Amino acid sequence: MATTASPYPVSEQRPNIPSAAVRLPAVESYEQVDREIIATLQPTLGWFAALGIAILCLLIGISAWMYQIYSGLGVAGYNPPVMWGVYIITFVFWVGIGHAGTLISAILYLFRAGFRTSIYRMAEAMTVFAVMTAALFPILHLGRPWKFFWLIPYPNWRLIWPQFKSPLVWDVFAILTYFTVSSTFLYIGLIPDIAVLRDREKNPVRKQIYAMLALGWRNSDREWRHFTRAYLFLAALSTPLVLSVHSVVSFDFAMALTPGWHATIFPPYFVAGAIFSGLGMVFTIGIPLRKYFRLQHYITLNDLDAAAKMCLFTSLVVGLAYLTEFQIAWMSGNKYEQEYFWNRLFGQWAWAAWIMLICNMVLPLSLFSQKARRNPAWLFILSIFINIGMWFERFVIVIPSLSHEFEPWQWTSYAPTWVDYAILLGSFGWFFMWFLLFIKQLPVMAIAELKEVLPPKMKHARGHPPHHGGSDPQVAGGEGTGGHAPRTA
Amino acid sequence: MPGVVAAFHELDSTVEAIAALKKSRFTEMTVYSPTPRHELDEVVDAPVSRVRLFTLIGGLAGASFGYWIAIWASKYWPLVVGGKPIASWVPYTIFGFEVMVLVGSLSTVFALFALSRVPRLTMTVGYDPRFSGGHFGIWVDTTPERLKEAADLLRQHGAEEVRHEA
Repeated sequence: MATTASPYPVSEQRPNIPSAAVRLPAVESYEQVDREIIATLQPTLGWFAALGIAILCLLIGISAWMYQIYSGLGVAGYNPPVMWGVYIITFVFWVGIGHAGTLISAILYLFRAGFRTSIYRMAEAMTVFAVMTAALFPILHLGRPWKFFWLIPYPNWRLIWPQFKSPLVWDVFAILTYFTVSSTFLYIGLIPDIAVLRDREKNPVRKQIYAMLALGWRNSDREWRHFTRAYLFLAALSTPLVLSVHSVVSFDFAMALTPGWHATIFPPYFVAGAIFSGLGMVFTIGIPLRKYFRLQHYITLNDLDAAAKMCLFTSLVVGLAYLTEFQIAWMSGNKYEQEYFWNRLFGQWAWAAWIMLICNMVLPLSLFSQKARRNPAWLFILSIFINIGMWFERFVIVIPSLSHEFEPWQWTSYAPTWVDYAILLGSFGWFFMWFLLFIKQLPVMAIAELKEVLPPKMKHARGHPPHHGGSDPQVAGGEGTGGHAPRTA
Repeated sequence: MPGVVAAFHELDSTVEAIAALKKSRFTEMTVYSPTPRHELDEVVDAPVSRVRLFTLIGGLAGASFGYWIAIWASKYWPLVVGGKPIASWVPYTIFGFEVMVLVGSLSTVFALFALSRVPRLTMTVGYDPRFSGGHFGIWVDTTPERLKEAADLLRQHGAEEVRHEA
């Protein structure tokens, strides 16, 4: 389970668990956690409005897809040799979004990074829904989408099997494994929290549904003993998985001889970019949720500060990868490669490349300032730029390479059509529809893990430090609790 | 077998009650806590979970299957290209790895359910909804003759409520 906080003073804690110092001073008791997190499940008018907008966007996307199936893929702006467009760009974008969720829930768990506790549930849910969204795009990109299952190896009457040396088949295995493991990880972590909902729910129908989903979980010592072990191993398996998935996605490009794609730097470059974009989406989703649900005393400014540092670090890695690509082209002596990278910066697609460089390399440098890292409004604005910048990163990878290959007759142009834009909009509708449904049916924060961070009630006080109720900026994050949480003495 | 269930509000009272029960040779007990606590692990002193065994076996089986399906399918329908090997282990490592993670994870979950004995159809005996909220709990499974002794011990160590259940 989560970071292990003990009731003893910070100075007495084992030094190898720095996360134990993470405290939630405005949260007094286990009952308060239950009460405040369960309160977020009450539907509101704003939530219905947001869900309505998401479903509307989804319907626009579905309509465009139906039109595309009826008319053929030509309506999607493909212009040979540019046969990959918005769909593949958006596929890579959404797979990348998912990565930060696994980073926060699994990798930071193994590193005992305490700040993950309050944000990991929403990040993990984001992962599952982002992968669900990404998985649609290769299918949308198929001329005959109803035959997508031909990529899955199973004994069939056609007696044919997939080509196991094809990156497309690698993608199928990587994405399906990623979806299965991340949704399993999400559900396993949810079981103790669903048991809390089952025990507090008054509505008999909802209580029955929660009872079924909780699988009869009772918080017994036997259950926790196996649960903590299983959770640890799932985190340990998810960690290399998250690195492998975007590496495999990068092979879709790196295995081709196309200039700009055929590079060994692609796997680490893609993984760093994926985590960077995912952290951007965590801010885009988490900061409004924190304010809307008045959870400032759970997701403190310290948590945002720590996540912003990770975002800055991954931005620097991504920036280094961009510059290294230019250096590789310069030193390669390969004129096609050099021509491509010159074209990227100053040619036909310069506007897209500069959007990418400014959003992903320049603007995140503001996070060197602690003031910026602790300013939720700036983090939210920056996250929008990061989302845009990372979508354009994939645009810059896909389109300029395909539209400027080896021979002049291959040099062409590309413009997305209304069908592309409608399906892109629909993908956001699909993602946010699932996310909005999730936050009103299941706890958006891990109740059991938050309790683990709190000092438990003790008969004999062990001299743990008194709560400061937000007066200490290093502990409470230096921000008010939104008038919602009781302040402790 | 009948038993006694007790609810505690403090962690240290629960720990002391468990230690006292063990000292008085009450061996069949279940401890409830809203969140896992090392203090309870230490006093209960249960053996290390065997989940890891299932993870290992599942992972090895998955890796073997991942390599096998790719090699078998390539040999079943050979695509001979420029004298290159029909079954090539480098790209097939992707399948070995992905299926290792997939089967390893699913067998971990299977082990969690099997060893924790969930899904559980009934939970009316020896459980209280407070145990998922702010209370710690102890269920002592014992003979009818020792019920009173167990209840007294639990009260003595600060149980907020003690009740008999069968």
